[in-house]
Amino acid sequence: MVTLDLKDLAKYPFLKESQTYIGAISSSLEHYLESTGGRVAIREAMLMLEHALSFSGKETPSIPEIPPEKEAVMTIIATYPVSRIMVSCAQDRMLIERLVRYQAWVVFAFLQDEEPEIKRFIRRSIGLPETGMDISVIDYIPVASRMAEERWRLVNRVVEKGKVRIRPEEYDEIVRERLRYIMSRNLPLKVPSRICDQVKPAIERIKAEWQKKVLEEFGQVEESAFPPCMQAILGALTGHGHLTHMARFAVTAFLHNIGMDNTRIIELYGSVPNFDLRKTLYQVEHISGRGGTSNEYISPLCATMRTHGICVHPDSICSRVTHPLSYYKLKKRDLNKQKYQKQVKDPDESMKKRVESEGDQSDTNTPDCIPSSTDNKYKDEKST
Amino acid sequence: MKPATRMFIKQRFTDYYQKKRISPPASVKEREFGFIFFDENYPDDIRMRRHIGFSSNDDLQEYVKSLVPAHAYYSTAYYRTPQAPTMADKDWLGADLIFDLDADHIVRGSFEEMLKRIKAETEKLLEVLENELGIDMRTVKLVFSGGRGYHIHIQELGFRDFGSAERREIVDYLCGNGISPSVLLDEWGASRSGWHERYRNILTGYLEDLSKKSAKDIKSELSSLRGVGQVTADRFSGMIPDLLPLLRTSPSSILLRDQTVKTILNALVTEKESPLLPLIKEASIQVDEPVTTDTRRLIRLPGSLHAKSGFKVVSLDLKELPDFDPLIDAVAFGEREVPVEAHKEYSFSLLGSQYDITKGKTKVPEAVAVYLCARGMAEIGGEPGSAS
Repeated sequence: MVTLDLKDLAKYPFLKESQTYIGAISSSLEHYLESTGGRVAIREAMLMLEHALSFSGKETPSIPEIPPEKEAVMTIIATYPVSRIMVSCAQDRMLIERLVRYQAWVVFAFLQDEEPEIKRFIRRSIGLPETGMDISVIDYIPVASRMAEERWRLVNRVVEKGKVRIRPEEYDEIVRERLRYIMSRNLPLKVPSRICDQVKPAIERIKAEWQKKVLEEFGQVEESAFPPCMQAILGALTGHGHLTHMARFAVTAFLHNIGMDNTRIIELYGSVPNFDLRKTLYQVEHISGRGGTSNEYISPLCATMRTHGICVHPDSICSRVTHPLSYYKLKKRDLNKQKYQKQVKDPDESMKKRVESEGDQSDTNTPDCIPSSTDNKYKDEKST
Repeated sequence: MKPATRMFIKQRFTDYYQKKRISPPASVKEREFGFIFFDENYPDDIRMRRHIGFSSNDDLQEYVKSLVPAHAYYSTAYYRTPQAPTMADKDWLGADLIFDLDADHIVRGSFEEMLKRIKAETEKLLEVLENELGIDMRTVKLVFSGGRGYHIHIQELGFRDFGSAERREIVDYLCGNGISPSVLLDEWGASRSGWHERYRNILTGYLEDLSKKSAKDIKSELSSLRGVGQVTADRFSGMIPDLLPLLRTSPSSILLRDQTVKTILNALVTEKESPLLPLIKEASIQVDEPVTTDTRRLIRLPGSLHAKSGFKVVSLDLKELPDFDPLIDAVAFGEREVPVEAHKEYSFSLLGSQYDITKGKTKVPEAVAVYLCARGMAEIGGEPGSAS
């Protein structure tokens, strides 16, 4: 039997043990949020969300220090549920994803230098075998369905009698993703509105921060960075082709997510045969969260696009992403890099280069896009 | 459909529901139900009445018995408030894992042939579910859909809270979507089953056939794939004699990072016009993908009748499948003679007899009459009184 001290509870606030402990400090959540401790926890949760928003998800975040004072440790434990309440009140799926990703990575970072006994305990508590390399199909799928690389697809795994084989070097990633899955499982929480009111000012600030972040991340709409699937749908749209409901939904949500305003989206639909302005307006506003629904839609995952037969002509960037939005971000970054490189070069030199590169566009585009191999990519990720 | 024909089918259905109880799904109180009735405009304008909940199995039986639906469905999902009028208010608690095998998506031919083919596909699915995915077969319910296929309901708790993305992972596995040639070949081992072995066999077979063609034909076949140039196609064609023995004995020693190999193998599994895709499809299990990934689907209620075929939706034990013949075992009606008027000539088998129906007025057993009328092949004919 493992004994967890207060510090362990702070490191692993998602554990049942931590939640039971923190649940006992106040008679009700409402009272707690009004107390001094509660106000500190709200402030800490905001800080955590800020970290989460600027976290790239590529390298291990720095581990927060756990102070020796009991009060402070309790605040750290409380920050976990408070931050979850806040994103649940904000009703923004992307904000939830960001928070959970960050929290999972922090736990993962703590686990790196953890006692073997506690490591085993954590693994068990998130439903992974303590040791051994095979995990059941039922435990594997929720984890793998969120991972991008094709080696994680169930279809590409050794699956025998309900067990999925995991290689030793893949174990860390499985633990991290499993954490993310466990943490995001119940989100958004159903929070009574009077509690949401209590954290409202903090949420407003976070939302404003998030808006800014979206602008920075996606910037101006750059059509040449659209993934092949969206280009195909747009092609059909402007070429008066017939579109399925799913295709319309996918492209509308995508354009909305990258910051295109509704008027422009509706203009695009204007070229469709039997265009019905009122219906289109309703659909576009509904999908973008302005038609009376509080939740915005996120454009479908690559896997969903595949299922509906609208994932077409996937290219090398597609194999690195699970979401059309990630494709857009990557491609846009690559395009910007190329533009920037062209600008800084000696003008004569760049003239010559351009003549050369126009002949074989694909070569100038690819170096950033094609991982040298799956194995190398994995090593790169681990070492950076 | 003439009103008299609609009335005839409804009367036969009424009679059936008076005598038979339908098999309620597990957790009746948490399921949403939906029904299509023999309204005035049925079957031209079909409306489903859904968002219906029952507090007990008896209520459900009573409802079906008194209202006699043409089609009856229930949700694969469990809800806290299944009768709530919007999806958001129902409060989703989870859903069974469902596979829909429909012959319409796989094969064309006579009804009999289609049923035979889909049964084989169902047997294939059950085998993969047990041997590869390790599903506890005691949690598997098999249902003949009353149409052209089978539904598999898996009630294993572990899958219940899976969302669409998770369910899609399973469908992709069954359908062979998203195959990575390099991963599968690289990790191939002598004792591998599943897709490692299936893909290796498919690729070997394809390359064997390809190698029998002329260099020119190989080049044009490969370069017709999007993203494959003449040079790459030509280079790959020269590699085939070396690749084949490696594929047969040790696929992992193939140089999978070689750009030519990589380009061709990837194009063969991703490009729509690839000649490899039909082979993968054949080795896969052709379940209807959106049905499995939809966590709020309504599905036919076992024990109810299907008004487009007149057949029963039959719950089956897994061991009953080999001997199950829908054209006998799903027939709900008897042999009393009924006059019908067929639209044209039809030939089919039902209840173990062969029927060659001629165009125009004829007398057939009641079961055949329901089948013909439900499928829109005939109208009820002769003296109206004889149908009741």
